[in-house]
Amino acid sequence: MADIYTTEWYSEVRDAMNARIATMKGLPADEILIKVEIVGDGVSPYVAAAAERHFLVKIEDGRCAWYREVEGDDPALALNYRFRGSATTFDEIAAGLEDPINAALQGGIKVRGDMRFLMRQAEQVKVLLEAYATGVQTSWPKGRPPYAPNEQEQVRA
Amino acid sequence: MRDAYDAIIIGAGHNGLTLGAYLARSGLEVLVLERRHEEGGGLCTEELTQPGFLHNVHANYHTFVDLAPPVHDLDVRGHGVEYVRPEVQMASIYDDGTALTIHTDLDKTCRSIARFSEQDAETFRRLYTEAHGYVDLLLGTLMYQPPMSVKELTKALSTFGVEGRSEFLSVKLRRETINQFLDQHFTHPKVKAHLAFHGAVCAYTNDVPGLAIGFPLLVGKIDNWHLCVGGSHRLAHALWRDLAQHGGVMVSDADVRAIVVDDGRAVGVRLADGTEIAARRLVASTVSVEQTFLEFLEPAALPAELPERVRKDVKHKDWSLFSVHLAMSALPQYEAAAFDPDVDRAWVVNLGYGSLEELNADFDAVRAGRLPEPRPNAAVNSLYDPTDAPAGCFTGLLRQFAPFSIAQGGEGEWESLGRWYGRRCIEAWRRYAPNLTDDSIIDWVPYTPLEITQKLPNMVRGDWMMGEVSLANMLDQRPLPELGQYRTPVDALYMAGSTQHPHGFITFAPAYNALQVIADDLGIDAWWRQV
Repeated sequence: MADIYTTEWYSEVRDAMNARIATMKGLPADEILIKVEIVGDGVSPYVAAAAERHFLVKIEDGRCAWYREVEGDDPALALNYRFRGSATTFDEIAAGLEDPINAALQGGIKVRGDMRFLMRQAEQVKVLLEAYATGVQTSWPKGRPPYAPNEQEQVRA
Repeated sequence: MRDAYDAIIIGAGHNGLTLGAYLARSGLEVLVLERRHEEGGGLCTEELTQPGFLHNVHANYHTFVDLAPPVHDLDVRGHGVEYVRPEVQMASIYDDGTALTIHTDLDKTCRSIARFSEQDAETFRRLYTEAHGYVDLLLGTLMYQPPMSVKELTKALSTFGVEGRSEFLSVKLRRETINQFLDQHFTHPKVKAHLAFHGAVCAYTNDVPGLAIGFPLLVGKIDNWHLCVGGSHRLAHALWRDLAQHGGVMVSDADVRAIVVDDGRAVGVRLADGTEIAARRLVASTVSVEQTFLEFLEPAALPAELPERVRKDVKHKDWSLFSVHLAMSALPQYEAAAFDPDVDRAWVVNLGYGSLEELNADFDAVRAGRLPEPRPNAAVNSLYDPTDAPAGCFTGLLRQFAPFSIAQGGEGEWESLGRWYGRRCIEAWRRYAPNLTDDSIIDWVPYTPLEITQKLPNMVRGDWMMGEVSLANMLDQRPLPELGQYRTPVDALYMAGSTQHPHGFITFAPAYNALQVIADDLGIDAWWRQV
């Protein structure tokens, strides 16, 4: 069991995604680069308030090739998608407490990029999201969501 | 004007200018040709009544500000556009003196609705909150991308399980009317009437099957109505400035009569004076399907069946708008302000529709070519833009749902009916705001559905949305399936105006989406795709 947001954890997430997708047919051959931006909200202990952690995910032939943490924005990168949301939202997704599709529908995660491609590959996207949300056992060294309500109330105030 | 450009765009409305500006920023030599004396198309602001009174002849409501990528990409604010988002966006005033107000503050809106029904107020809060959450996501999916088919879309929504995750979105909405949606979720006739009115003002007629699918999105941006300070034409001017600053050229009084085709490819245009201008890479039309395929192109250049398909199968709205533009020395003081003082600050006011049945009956009358007893909506831009009238004076705009063609006599009857019907619309307004006496009205002019088409021939039969708004005429089916992806049967000829998905209104979307297709075809680096 890997700690959340560590290299080992990403490796497990990647393997879980690829295992789930292994039996799928008709996967797109496109190379897809996704940026995930996790914004500290003062509640999650894994990203400092107002700080951000950014991750790149490379999808090749429908499979997750790699997944790594990066710093800032590199304008030279040709991103296909950007997912941005609060750390608590991402933590809750990784803990299986928040549904990633709900989070996107409710505006908790903002999605930018070619929506048509995302909609046309809905089956694959759904499987990848499920793997992220429930595919690995995660350890939470600084505490596990749901976080204490009083902490969340403080942030809202 | 030179004799050749990379791209020639027909029509300098907001779509033509938007496409032109993007292409010019992409390094193409761009020429935008406009038949009228100025750029703008529906973004047309004129001193119709008296000097100093700025009247938006067509587009008045800018509801996609900060949702539409071009507002940012083309830096329209940097080019001088200033938007105001009125805090009291809209109101309905009912015959019993009560009123409902929509605010930029959701709590205030809900408090207003709760005066009629607490249950409806709670439902509205849930609907708004849900829809506001996905408005970005769905607008990105539905509006600012070349369209998917309804089948593809519903399959994806089904795969993502959206129906199970949403209280208000459902696949069955593609068969339902907004009336049905409202009957299922709301209880009070006045609340339903206001929301249906809001849909109708957005051209989503409340009784048309299938339009319920778009209604949650309308609610998600119900408080995003903006006014363009100094008149809507300021936006057209800003887009023209962006075009010009990047080397593009807009020529007015340039009446295109033909698109020149050589070996199946659009290679230029011919103007009324015989001038021919070559297009090295593309021609894009932002005017009507009828002008483009029946007037500008020889039948021999088209698939044999296309001209007849355009004549028979291109659908237009079955109602239009009759307007009255007023110069006033007083602001309306509504009697309903005794019930809700905020109505006096409401930008747009629905005067009198208190039930779905009343709206239905008027649309039935309009479709039969009859003039309904006026229940116009009234907008007073000066409430939020004091620059649009001389000091101490105000502009007013009445809009009434109306037929293009009068049952007895046809559209030509508008020549004689305009003043009479305009007077009746003013009298209808006065019933709710008695201070608007003749003394307080400095001048007024009617603007009929016939004049819409006379001024802007691309708005065929007074169709200010440049195509019916219905599920059958949405997404990749608009305006015809073979034209639904902005390409045409003629190589290098594109459609980029409001005839295309999604529809009219100041969305920028037809041009933005055509741009994606053109960029793919021409290998243009899509610098604007800011992921």
